[in-house]
Amino acid sequence: MTASLTRRRIRIINQICWTLALCIVAIPFVFPFLWMVSSGFKSAAEIFGSPSLVPREWQWQNFIDVFKHQPFARQYLNSLYIAVTVTALTLLVSSLAGYALARMRFAGAALVALFLVSALMVPEEVTIIPNFFMMRWAGLVDTHWPLILLPTFGPQGIMATFLMRQYFLALPKELEDAGKMDGLSRLGVWWSIALPMSRPALAAVAIITFLNSWNLFLEPLIFVSSLDKFTLPLALSNFTDPYGMPLWHLQLAATSLAVIPILVVYIIAQRQIIESFALSGVKG
Amino acid sequence: MTSLSLNNVKKHFGRTEVIRGVDLSVDDGEFVVFVGPSGCGKSTLLRMISGLEDISSGVLKIGNRVVNETPPARRGVAMVFQSYALYPHLNVRDNMGFGLKVRKVPTDERARRVTEAARTLKLEPLLDRFPRELSGGQRQRVAIGRAIVGDPEVFLFDEPLSNLDAELRVHMRSEIASLHKRLGSTMIYVTHDQIEAMTLADKIVVLRDGLVEQVGTPRELYERPGNLFVAQFIGSPKMNILPVGSVAKALPVRPDSASHVGMRPEDLKLTDPGSGLVSGKVLLSEYTGASSLLHVELPDGEIFLVAYDGPTIDADTTLGLTIAPDRLHFFDSAGQRAS
Repeated sequence: MTASLTRRRIRIINQICWTLALCIVAIPFVFPFLWMVSSGFKSAAEIFGSPSLVPREWQWQNFIDVFKHQPFARQYLNSLYIAVTVTALTLLVSSLAGYALARMRFAGAALVALFLVSALMVPEEVTIIPNFFMMRWAGLVDTHWPLILLPTFGPQGIMATFLMRQYFLALPKELEDAGKMDGLSRLGVWWSIALPMSRPALAAVAIITFLNSWNLFLEPLIFVSSLDKFTLPLALSNFTDPYGMPLWHLQLAATSLAVIPILVVYIIAQRQIIESFALSGVKG
Repeated sequence: MTSLSLNNVKKHFGRTEVIRGVDLSVDDGEFVVFVGPSGCGKSTLLRMISGLEDISSGVLKIGNRVVNETPPARRGVAMVFQSYALYPHLNVRDNMGFGLKVRKVPTDERARRVTEAARTLKLEPLLDRFPRELSGGQRQRVAIGRAIVGDPEVFLFDEPLSNLDAELRVHMRSEIASLHKRLGSTMIYVTHDQIEAMTLADKIVVLRDGLVEQVGTPRELYERPGNLFVAQFIGSPKMNILPVGSVAKALPVRPDSASHVGMRPEDLKLTDPGSGLVSGKVLLSEYTGASSLLHVELPDGEIFLVAYDGPTIDADTTLGLTIAPDRLHFFDSAGQRAS
């Protein structure tokens, strides 16, 4: 009885110690976020005054001014629909291409894979100028197409394709054979067997793609110039006064609004997000 | 029910020929078992019949149709895989009805056929479970059920029991045998398990290196093996083989062309040293429960296996071995049966 009580006490003390240690480690990650949200409710003067997490005067007006300063609602929607479109297209393209690379024997398959890998080696910044000329030639500058096409078929799409390929490679081949015996075509096997069995990989691709598209800054900066076509990352950098100085209180209020979809996605799919990072070997 | 025939069927992967010209005919309702060592091409041949592998040359007929170019689902065959190949995201009912759904069979008819197959295989209580919630034997029954609902002309089994434990394997073996009796369908079964082959088959096809070595009933293959390979492959423990010259004096009669003589371990009887066909020293006695397996070293160093049912015999005991003349198997210098 005494021994079991002692063991219980040790376990509780152990838990408290671990929780305290994790809280201390979390401070550098959590503090900037809390500071951002609280500063969104402060006046510009208070932000640079004595540091405090709780605003002295709650400036709810900031969240109204955000929408008056520029077409923020439109920009928010732009980001949302672009991220959803890119995610849907990437899922389609990467799962089809990944399946072909994993399961189909065709001439030049190894060469295609090699090209894809080599494309991953090239930093995005290097290809941005040729991409710009290509998009200008196609008449797509100052439209949302570059923000949809480049992530879908660029390094992110290739990364997603490889992730899907690796997952498809691990699926038992006999299941596909069973599908063929049941009368499925190649496309039918992909749709009815390979895809439903690849939900973890699809979730990983969806989450990573959505986050990347949501946070995309370089491409919108290069390809989009009209205010109503801005996406959120670009819009956030546009909260400035007539002299070009940042309006911190508006910028931080807008940023607080910008993280809401990400937080919602995270709360809903916390487990899948952690699994997706483990599966894809990328960090958040 | 339908017959099936293969005429000089070949298969090569690149330059490697894995099936080197197989001729075979399977009658209506026959249970045919393909056996052979690993890599002999038995699974490849089955997959060629199913349509999962292309046929490089030759003719495959199911019924009266040449089906070389026919897709798997239109050949009228169903396959049961070694790993069961159940779709993990579908429950038992949907797994069994999946093929019918793909073929656009109306929902009512689909439900009727799934229920009927489930009743036949006693799967009714499991219809709403997912494969992960089933035991190995239950999964195997679902895999068979999935084959049954399609009402195929030919059933193909690719080592379906090899993932089951010994006890369950015996049980499932008898279930497959009674299923064959009940359905009366043509069945082709691949295994490397001789007991499965001997107990289930109407006809056994022994394959080696992509060629058929012998086709026959289990009894024919065991009692009159056509060549040295079949003689040693069928039967466990395997047949003892000696050059005829080494026992020529003790042999009562033998065919003129005989170069080797074979003796099954279970046909050999113990006798006094010096008498009988050969003498040797016991190296090892393995007790297997029903009998013992003696490893006897002959004077020339050959090891003879003898199935022995009697009191324990210690190692280093010298003994003689004899056999009834009609239990001897003779083979010529090419390894073919000599008679």
